Amino acid sequence: MKNWHWIALGILLITSLILEFTYLADYASHWWNHVPAFYALWGGLGCAALIFISKGLGKIFILSDEDYYDA
Amino acid sequence: MMLELLSVPAVILILGAFVLPLIPERFRSIAFITFPLVALVMVWTMPEGNLLQVPFASYELDLLAVDGLSRIFGIIFALITVIGGVYAFHIKDLGQQSSALAYAGGALGVTFAGDFFTLFIFWEIMAAASSYLIWARETKESAKAGMRYLLVHIFGGGLLFTGILLHLSSGGSLYIESIEPAYTAANIFMLLGVALNTAVPPLHAWLADAYPKATITGAVFMCALTTKSAVYVMIRLFPGWEILIWVGVIMAIYGTIYALLANDIREILAYSIISQIGYMVTAIGIGTELALNGATAHAFNHIIYKSLLFMAAGAVIHATGTSKLSEMGGFAKKMPLIVGLYMIGALSISGMPFLNGFVSKTMISGALGDAHLEWPILLLLIATIGTFLHTGLKLPYFTWFAEKKTDFEVSSIPTNMKVAMGLGALFCILFGVAPQLLYSQLPYPTDFQPFSIYNFVEMTQILVLAFVGFWFLKNHLNISSTISLDTDWFYRRPAGVVRTVFVEFPNNLFGLAETFSLQIADRLSGLSENPIKVLLPSFVFSGREIKSDGFTASMSAALAFILFGFIVAALFVLL
Repeated sequence: MKNWHWIALGILLITSLILEFTYLADYASHWWNHVPAFYALWGGLGCAALIFISKGLGKIFILSDEDYYDA
Repeated sequence: MMLELLSVPAVILILGAFVLPLIPERFRSIAFITFPLVALVMVWTMPEGNLLQVPFASYELDLLAVDGLSRIFGIIFALITVIGGVYAFHIKDLGQQSSALAYAGGALGVTFAGDFFTLFIFWEIMAAASSYLIWARETKESAKAGMRYLLVHIFGGGLLFTGILLHLSSGGSLYIESIEPAYTAANIFMLLGVALNTAVPPLHAWLADAYPKATITGAVFMCALTTKSAVYVMIRLFPGWEILIWVGVIMAIYGTIYALLANDIREILAYSIISQIGYMVTAIGIGTELALNGATAHAFNHIIYKSLLFMAAGAVIHATGTSKLSEMGGFAKKMPLIVGLYMIGALSISGMPFLNGFVSKTMISGALGDAHLEWPILLLLIATIGTFLHTGLKLPYFTWFAEKKTDFEVSSIPTNMKVAMGLGALFCILFGVAPQLLYSQLPYPTDFQPFSIYNFVEMTQILVLAFVGFWFLKNHLNISSTISLDTDWFYRRPAGVVRTVFVEFPNNLFGLAETFSLQIADRLSGLSENPIKVLLPSFVFSGREIKSDGFTASMSAALAFILFGFIVAALFVLL
């Protein structure tokens, strides 16, 4: 990842936040619309949760040796 | 009558499967594309209505029921068979070509079937024809996986057929119409049969087991046809069955978690199919017009981008000979076009605005919003994040960009494969920027507008933060050479025991019985050779052996004379 990649992502995120606080300020079709930057939070937290939950489940019982069924 | 059958697109393709062997090899690939093209034109131009009835026993079968819903599925099945044909243009394997055509014919047959009997016949044709696409890989693994795939589908067909028979015997109609949500035995069997082909956990393991082991070109047909034709049947039969809302959500999350763990690139894509079908099943569960439109549109788009992804994965396997993330890395610069085309598919499936996944995903979340199903919305968003993580980031990153893990050659890829992928990518973009082209074909009229500021804000924030999360946590993702245990464990792990109890034990038992009875027969035949030997054993009398089966020379001479006398007397009497 080069610096300009991060800058581009930052601009995208800031643009979406500006849009959210200007155009969607009084938009409330779901309860979470009252939480500022909810989708960003959900995206970040969901991503971390998925990675760690799948890692944990993999360790507990899902992942196995490639020759598991041949043995 | 026979000529009328030619108006059925499915018949054209199945006929094609039989005609193909008669065509010289150098024209075969062209013919392989021509048949689905003809079918595509037919599907496109057919008028609506029940176009062909065939008497069968005391029933009238309805082979060609055309309406908005069956037409759009017919169009995409025929279209993807054409694209798959371009992708497989360089293949000279007649078996694969014929079975792919018959398979697509089965899918079209299911789509336009107006009655359960026709539906079931084509359903089974699909299962049988597609199995060959796994076997044609000709590895030990694919031979076993193909057999498991076939057995599971025969089981699924059995469930469906049981349901149909119960449905008919309880006074239900032979003709296909939506079923009221009631948990009768007939409905449950039919739902289970359809759910097996839709890959609903725990009946889903065949998919992730078989697709990664199919041939490179075969997997492209498979990822498009079986599950989506089952989604079509589910839209027909079970719209508004509320249980499906949560079944779909569970599917979406389940598929995501397994896809995040998988090491084989086509296994990632296979689990991602399950996750994507979760969206469609949820929408079917809602059952409103917008939701069913969303399910249809998402199935349509899914077929395009998923086959594009499978084609790109196939190109990687074709070029490198491996399909495992644990063995790849560091060759993005050697196939920039493939990487680019793959990323179009990957961003489509992730729901990036202006690509086709976005225009149908937003439709489904719109339908969920209208129904005030807030938690399903949030959980499906988690699945979207996961989709972006495994298909959009993990797979391309560890395949092409991460550090090289083993040494391998990167060979060139046939042009026709690139052309087919280009076509797929083109449709991804086309329906992404001009969704009206797709919306106008949906079963219910709609004025849905996907390009709203709300949707842009939502997807941008989700995708940007998911990317950031991936970048910092990517070392926690599994890329070791492992396999994932899934519900196929229940029939693969005990296979050894089952084989011992039900095959080897009876086999050995019969073997023993056979040896035993042969020995008895042997002894008996020995006895019958000369029973006197047994009845009157030889003995020793005053120093010399008296043979029970032997005579002294004088006795033999006397007997010979008596015999001779009989023959002479007989001849005298007769003559």
